[in-house]
Amino acid sequence: MRTARRISQSLFFILFLFLLVMTEYKGTDEIKYPVEIFFYFDPLVAVSAFLAAHRVPKELLWSLVVVGLSVLSGRFFCSWVCPMGTLNHVLSHSRGKAAEQIKGNRYDTRQSWKYVMVVFFLLLSVLGLQLVGFLDPFSVLIRSFALAVNPVLNWLVRALFYPLLGLGWPWLTAVIEPVFSFLRQAVLSFEQPYFYQGLFIGSIFLAIVLLNRFRRRFWCRFLCPLGALLGLLSRFSLLRLVVDKETCTGCLSCIKNCEGACEPQSTESWIRSECLPCWNCVESCPHGSIKIKLALPGLTDRSVDLGRRHVISSVGAAIGAVALLRIDPRKVAPSLVSGEMRGSKKFNPLLIRPPGALAEKEFLERCVKCGECMKVCIKNAIHPALMEAGLEGFWTPYLKMQLGYCEYNCTLCGQVCPTGALEKLTLEKKHETKIGLAFFDKNRCIPYALGRNCIVCEEVCPTPKKAIWFEEKEVTDPQGNLVLVKQPRIDPYLCIGCGMCEYVCPLVDKPGVYCTSIGESRSPDNQLLLDIYGGGAT
Amino acid sequence: MDRKKFLKVLSAGCLAVGLPGCGGSSGGGKAVQAMPKTQRSKVRLEGARMAVVTGGEPEALTRRAIDELGGMGLFVSRGDKVLIKPNIGWDRVPAQAATTNPEVVATLVVMCQEAGAAEVLVIDNTISDARRCYTRSGIKAAVEAVGAQIPYLEDYNFSKVNIGGELIKEWPVYREALEVDKIINVPIAKVHSLSRLTIGMKNFYGLLGGRRNQLHQDVHLSIAEMTAFFAPTLTVVDAVRILTGNGPSGGSLSDVKKLDTVIATTDPVAADARAAQFFGIDPQEVRYLTLGSEMGIGTLDFSSLGVKEVTL
Repeated sequence: MRTARRISQSLFFILFLFLLVMTEYKGTDEIKYPVEIFFYFDPLVAVSAFLAAHRVPKELLWSLVVVGLSVLSGRFFCSWVCPMGTLNHVLSHSRGKAAEQIKGNRYDTRQSWKYVMVVFFLLLSVLGLQLVGFLDPFSVLIRSFALAVNPVLNWLVRALFYPLLGLGWPWLTAVIEPVFSFLRQAVLSFEQPYFYQGLFIGSIFLAIVLLNRFRRRFWCRFLCPLGALLGLLSRFSLLRLVVDKETCTGCLSCIKNCEGACEPQSTESWIRSECLPCWNCVESCPHGSIKIKLALPGLTDRSVDLGRRHVISSVGAAIGAVALLRIDPRKVAPSLVSGEMRGSKKFNPLLIRPPGALAEKEFLERCVKCGECMKVCIKNAIHPALMEAGLEGFWTPYLKMQLGYCEYNCTLCGQVCPTGALEKLTLEKKHETKIGLAFFDKNRCIPYALGRNCIVCEEVCPTPKKAIWFEEKEVTDPQGNLVLVKQPRIDPYLCIGCGMCEYVCPLVDKPGVYCTSIGESRSPDNQLLLDIYGGGAT
Repeated sequence: MDRKKFLKVLSAGCLAVGLPGCGGSSGGGKAVQAMPKTQRSKVRLEGARMAVVTGGEPEALTRRAIDELGGMGLFVSRGDKVLIKPNIGWDRVPAQAATTNPEVVATLVVMCQEAGAAEVLVIDNTISDARRCYTRSGIKAAVEAVGAQIPYLEDYNFSKVNIGGELIKEWPVYREALEVDKIINVPIAKVHSLSRLTIGMKNFYGLLGGRRNQLHQDVHLSIAEMTAFFAPTLTVVDAVRILTGNGPSGGSLSDVKKLDTVIATTDPVAADARAAQFFGIDPQEVRYLTLGSEMGIGTLDFSSLGVKEVTL
């Protein structure tokens, strides 16, 4: 069974890496693989999205399969499927003397942290605050790989190859260029990806990995809310660990090899909610005393250790957290009540959401901050928010036009969103979706401020009838001469806020044309022109 | 210090010292002297110097236009390395007339191969996402189908070189463009709100790297200087469809006019001057053309070239 488990883990981990690499434009307008498929089998995301938004995309119903299997066979998902589990498994060193190893693998009451955590997160969801993405294992894993691990890998490979290729020695180029082309085609991103907070997210990931030095599979034992949810479901699992007292010599080699710290040394001590059926105990027992059998759960079995006190305090913490986040003066914090009582009218001009994003309240109820849209964005324009969307919207996607722009004919971000926070848009719909609106800074824009022609913005404006046009004006240049220049103007009816103008503006430090979120199609309130949105804002 | 620790320290040290120096060292450095136009061999013309062929399929138009000039053999010698430079700048399909017709490009590739070219390279430094431009323009598929290379550009492909212009002293240029034996420029004819027209001469922006967005500040002079620098062997203007409004990116079919015409000429200024007629624009009013003429790159008076006008 242990070999079977290892094969299963390897296959799912390879699948994860493959889908991650495929989360990119590969020459077709549609992504060919279901790159977000791991989320479809994540009951934590399904439950929390359902509790917060009262509906889930039908793909997330696949997670019921995992729910069913976990009810029947415990936390098999953690040790047979989950790539985050596999990663932590592989990176958990067995070091030290046998006695120390055994000590480190004993059950630790702090393993109940994760249950408190999942109760806390799900309570938040009930109250309309969806924060599960901070600790959902797939969100953590994909966010870390997409925003930190992959950019680091890309940088290292390019740092190795670019200087060598830059030398332009024909024989050297002939040898290494095919290698680089292959890597670029098969593994690397098309261009070097850069992400705001890549360092931060990478550091957190590194910390998660390094925690394995304290305890084997630290994340899975102490922190993982999905593992906790599956642990709760395992209460009635039909897999049961049975130890034959007659043959057991008490050597504890079962504990020495245990992944979940589930006390497998006797039938009575075994904790089913902590057991990640990894079969290490069975296979390492020198006397063959341990069996995992199909059997009805015993009433005396040890299971989730979740004190009443903990539950009560997490209820209190959840209510407090919601209230604290809801007193944020920004409009972006949705209210519990309804659209009518949204508090302040303050919008963040920098918060430009990807095309297809739902209205802010609905968006935040669904987004799990996984970073799939950031990974797939063809121009590297989508970045994780810091405080642009409030604490609640930490790490949610927004567009940073100086680093990239929204490519006119691209609809990839909506295709890979696992929770429907970004809608899948048809190309037609995408073309008419406004994500913001561009404005000129006349104090900086070259034709206005310096009396010189430029209008790169007009040249690149991608709408079929350009949203940027120009007026020919006679102006005084900074030297006092009368000159004729083309001054760009923006037609707010045509502008979709894609940011290509801002991206190409020669004023590279602070562009003379910039996009803000006002006019975004998704918001009935963040509007300026009555005849475009038709009124009705609260 | 044991072996393991030593290796750890060593690798950490390498990372700390080596890597910051590695990133992006290309493109910087001293400008190298490069004079592609003097390296390339002169073309001896036997036929006309300009051919305008109209009324047919893109492939037939292209073939006939080159044949009217005396055949590709006059321009491409056996063993030559040829760079074909279409306009692939935008994420548009051929019907939208923002990018060069893929059949015209592929036909030129085949003709170069027939003339004995050792290697044919097709590239453009695109404005929209390169992958989308190469794919949706149809040029990648068409060029690969006939066995030429159409690589994506990387930072290391560019070297800062001496342009020798009055305005542009030095600029990062696609390195292969300095090394090839022949450059065939194959633009599409479009309007442009700043330079009025973007046809052949402006197409050379697509061989440049660096901060191209600054060139707009003196668009006419930079266009003329770039053309003088790259000195194309041949200019083939794709006017199968032309873009008459919202250029150079277009996108609306109502701005597209179908002319079924291809112009081939050795004179880069005359090519644009002739194509200006399609838009009803007097070449004298286009400053980059008068500048080009003054700089001696070519002539505005294309009728002096002995134009062969052919209708298929």
